[in-house]
Amino acid sequence: MTPGTLSAQITDYANRADPYPLYAELRKQPVRREDDGTYLVSTYYEVRNLANDPRLSNDTRNRPPRYARTADAEDQGLPPSFIFTDPPVHDRLRDTINRPFGPPHSPSFLDGLRGELAKVVTELLDAFDGKDQVDIVEDFAYPLPVTAICKVLGVPREDEPRFHGWADALASSLDPRPGGGDGQEKGQRARQEMGAYLSDLIETKRRHPGPGMLSALAPDMTPADLEATAVLLLVAGHETTVNAITNTTLTLLRHPDVLERFQKEPDLAVPLIEEVLRFEPPVQFVPWTTALADIDVAGTTIPKGSPVWLMLAAANRDPKRFVDPDRFDPDRKDNEHLGFYTGIHYCFGAPLARIELHLAVPELFRRVTFSRLLEDPPPYRANAVLRGPRHLPVAIEGLTV
Amino acid sequence: MRLVVDLNRCQGFAQCVFLAPDVFSLHGDEALLFSPRFDEAQRDRVEKAAAACPVQAILVDYSDEPTKGVEPHVG
Repeated sequence: MTPGTLSAQITDYANRADPYPLYAELRKQPVRREDDGTYLVSTYYEVRNLANDPRLSNDTRNRPPRYARTADAEDQGLPPSFIFTDPPVHDRLRDTINRPFGPPHSPSFLDGLRGELAKVVTELLDAFDGKDQVDIVEDFAYPLPVTAICKVLGVPREDEPRFHGWADALASSLDPRPGGGDGQEKGQRARQEMGAYLSDLIETKRRHPGPGMLSALAPDMTPADLEATAVLLLVAGHETTVNAITNTTLTLLRHPDVLERFQKEPDLAVPLIEEVLRFEPPVQFVPWTTALADIDVAGTTIPKGSPVWLMLAAANRDPKRFVDPDRFDPDRKDNEHLGFYTGIHYCFGAPLARIELHLAVPELFRRVTFSRLLEDPPPYRANAVLRGPRHLPVAIEGLTV
Repeated sequence: MRLVVDLNRCQGFAQCVFLAPDVFSLHGDEALLFSPRFDEAQRDRVEKAAAACPVQAILVDYSDEPTKGVEPHVG
């Protein structure tokens, strides 16, 4: 393989359906310098150590100007959202945002949404009745997380058609090389439009508080910080869990032996979902970190100012950490996968994603009798970072109550 | 049914508290509290919490039940 081309191949759409051979190639050199000075880190322990290393920054304003920054950090009149900040700003923001969302202040907020979300799952599956073919993405995996994030934030579900397009454009702008450069521009425009929508909504919530995080956070955050947070959480809610649900369905239909067992042992759902998060993580890599100092990793020095990509999906299949890593094995013990990252930027929405997966996956496979995948591999979305099928057409034989 | 949490491994990700808030709780921002004994009604939630732990610090012990053996989650 030609040196210096692996990151280009990973972002190349032609490799979207199966990037794993490229990740295996990457792991031969745990810390790999690309021609433009970007470093790709792909082995488990090195990724985990760097994710916990305070010398690695998530604030792309620390990159020399010749490197791409995230659309988020561009001057939009808004501060970076907390995913693109470092301590102490990060910790202050995340603590505040966590207050209405999780422990110690709101330990039962998400747990209390289970009933409503279970109802959504039931309604989506009821609509399969009489069909012999469904698209798992459009008919199931996309509507559930969108409804969930709207409920969590307190965004009216009926406005969804308006922000659907914005969320897509923003997610593409996270991709390091989206469609010849206009992805960044589209992302910025989407962020502005979505920001304007959310800023109006936040102002309304400030005056007339209702259920959901936006109302709860309005008194404690500046309008700009809350707007940046709302954009981030709304996009994350749209573009990640959909892949987790779809990847689980795809992986099960590709492993009929596991599927057969799952139908007899519904308890298998819990370890099975964790194994999908290792095997096909919805966020494949984190390309927005920057070295704040010279960092020695596995015999290589990453110079200060270098962009660093942490390759989570490659680390999740590192044979030095996982036995037989390319095997999908729901019985895997000690599955400390990096599907939700690790360290201080561990996925904020992970508990919500898990609640959705725990509700959606067992019910989908209990009620629906699947016949087969209609396209394998399915068509993928362009994004290499938030990787997942655009559609997952499947033939079904029946639906039980 | 009993629970053991390896507090040397626990890093306060708090995923268990989200998934089983009646069994696990946080004291302050990071210190984990938990009920070492829990009843059947919590079993499903505790299983989910143990599986979700990013550092696999939660061990669920069913050895006091005649029907099911110990299932170590920590390898």
